[in-house]
Amino acid sequence: MRQWIILFKKEVKESIRNFKWIWIPVVFILLGLTQPVVSYYLPDLLEQFGGLPEGAAAAFPVPTGSQVLAETLGQFSQIGLLVLVLAFMGAVAGERNNGTNIMILVKPVSYASYISAKWAHMVLLALVSFTAGFIFSVYYTFLLIESVPAAHIIQGALVYGLWLTFVVTVVLTLSTIIKSPAAVAFLTFGVTITLSLMSSLLPEIMTWSPGMLSSHSHSFFMNGYGNEGFWLSLMCTILMIAVMLSLAIYVFRKKEMAVHTT
Amino acid sequence: MDEIVNELQAVPWPVVAPIIIIQFLLMVIALIDCLRRGGETKGPQWVWILVIVFGGIFGPIIYFLFGRRND
Amino acid sequence: MSLIKTDNLTKTFNGTNAVDGINLNIREGACTALLGPNGAGKTTTLNLLTGLMNPTKGKISFDKRYSGDRRKYLGYLPQYPKFYGWMTGIEYVVYAGELGGLTASEARTRAEELLNLVGLTDAGKKRISGYSGGMKQRLGIAQALVHNPKLIILDEPVSALDPIGRREVLELMKRLKETTSILFSTHVLHDAEQISDDIYIIQDGRVVINGGLEELQKKYQQPTVHIETEENLEEWSMSLESAPWVRHLKAEKQKLTVTAESIEDARNALLTDERLRQLKLNKFEIEKTSLEDLFMEVTK
Repeated sequence: MRQWIILFKKEVKESIRNFKWIWIPVVFILLGLTQPVVSYYLPDLLEQFGGLPEGAAAAFPVPTGSQVLAETLGQFSQIGLLVLVLAFMGAVAGERNNGTNIMILVKPVSYASYISAKWAHMVLLALVSFTAGFIFSVYYTFLLIESVPAAHIIQGALVYGLWLTFVVTVVLTLSTIIKSPAAVAFLTFGVTITLSLMSSLLPEIMTWSPGMLSSHSHSFFMNGYGNEGFWLSLMCTILMIAVMLSLAIYVFRKKEMAVHTT
Repeated sequence: MDEIVNELQAVPWPVVAPIIIIQFLLMVIALIDCLRRGGETKGPQWVWILVIVFGGIFGPIIYFLFGRRND
Repeated sequence: MSLIKTDNLTKTFNGTNAVDGINLNIREGACTALLGPNGAGKTTTLNLLTGLMNPTKGKISFDKRYSGDRRKYLGYLPQYPKFYGWMTGIEYVVYAGELGGLTASEARTRAEELLNLVGLTDAGKKRISGYSGGMKQRLGIAQALVHNPKLIILDEPVSALDPIGRREVLELMKRLKETTSILFSTHVLHDAEQISDDIYIIQDGRVVINGGLEELQKKYQQPTVHIETEENLEEWSMSLESAPWVRHLKAEKQKLTVTAESIEDARNALLTDERLRQLKLNKFEIEKTSLEDLFMEVTK
């Protein structure tokens, strides 16, 4: 455990030094702030600059508070996830490609700790960034539009946090298996987009899917409870995270760290 | 002229100002990082400075993701 | 006492044996050199010992007194050490020490001590990204030593360095061998002769010759005669080939190098050779070789 903390602290320190701990939360805060403002002023803006026929702006009413929060999550799922995946794509592959992991792994370091410390750090950074951004979004939504019950918000946010954790775990696992960080990012987007699309197109057969979690969180904002099948997709997601993490550790152990050159 | 003044007054500054400030903050962090690194960027430093300053919200993000050499 | 023993250690890549049945016996308290040309399998052997690669066949056994994870007792410096450039020298050594099982304060004290030893006390506060090759190599030695390993393994510790860096690191290794067992690889015989006690000469993944340095030097040190004449001596040199005292000879136009069984026989035979006199002798020199010729021969 002591060793795990040392490894984890190194990850945190590294991300503080290269400003990840500042710029990623700031990006989320910016996204969180912008969405309520845009939602609130969009009808106005359309009226003023849109050159729309009289009355058309009425077709764009100011959305409800829970809608705005859901729209914020939409922003997080696009730009936010893009940023997280690209920032973490080299988590394991990068250290292997530049050879820095060799001198660490000849020390009596547990491979499981090495991988899980990286995972924990990525998850923490992702969740802190998300929380920071979402707090600002909630504040602006309350200020400009209307308040939403706090319990609804917290539950919805927790559910969405699990989706983020899932995506981060995909990045980490792929980064252990695949050498090229670009391929890691590409495949992660492939997986998440497929899951999300399938979940919205075929909700009946995708009830288990982690891709359902965002729509469950929308439902929490609106009603205080998830859609049908919420528990199934929650459990499946947790299970898949555990399986992927174990797989990452297993693969990492099997791989030979030193690369044969001559 | 009056029109511009009117429009400026119409902007809800208390609401918009934090967004602008935070975006500016992001830009400043990126600039500090870029300058502190000296030549250690991928590609010429001055290009990255232009990207950061004129790239809007995405400029600093793109710099942070792709502009820095790993060390 | 042997620290590490390998038994028929073999590593195969795509059907070829990079390491082909190597038996090593690394003595505690000794400095052992793995000597061989590039591509002989030295790095692979070391990677197998550190556990960074798994052997295809064979066994590695570590001294029974030191139980558990072998890595606890090993310090390792790869040929091209790669550090986290964002860390300072001292941070890296402390980190390595903590991973090696030291407490934070132990690691700190030990890191300061070692940076002093390798001459990086001041540079230790700077980021590693600004270090020169020699500084990185010395930092690499410090991080290898930090958790007080029983054996440090250094892969070509001096080959990437300029002459000054080379001397610094060799001097450092000389001091280290007083207190730690060292296993290092090199393709330069001179480096091995300078500091090692035991030598394994490796070629094509096999141990060709091994033994104590002095023992090998005595055994393989051969007197060599260099001759230069005015006229071409190639034809005459053929007549020598069958002489009983000749071990090996190489003739090229006016130059001849003969390795002899015994220096007396060689001197007597050559200086009384009428035909050599006719070729007009320019130079006659007797030299006792180091292991150079042996090394050249076995790694040809």
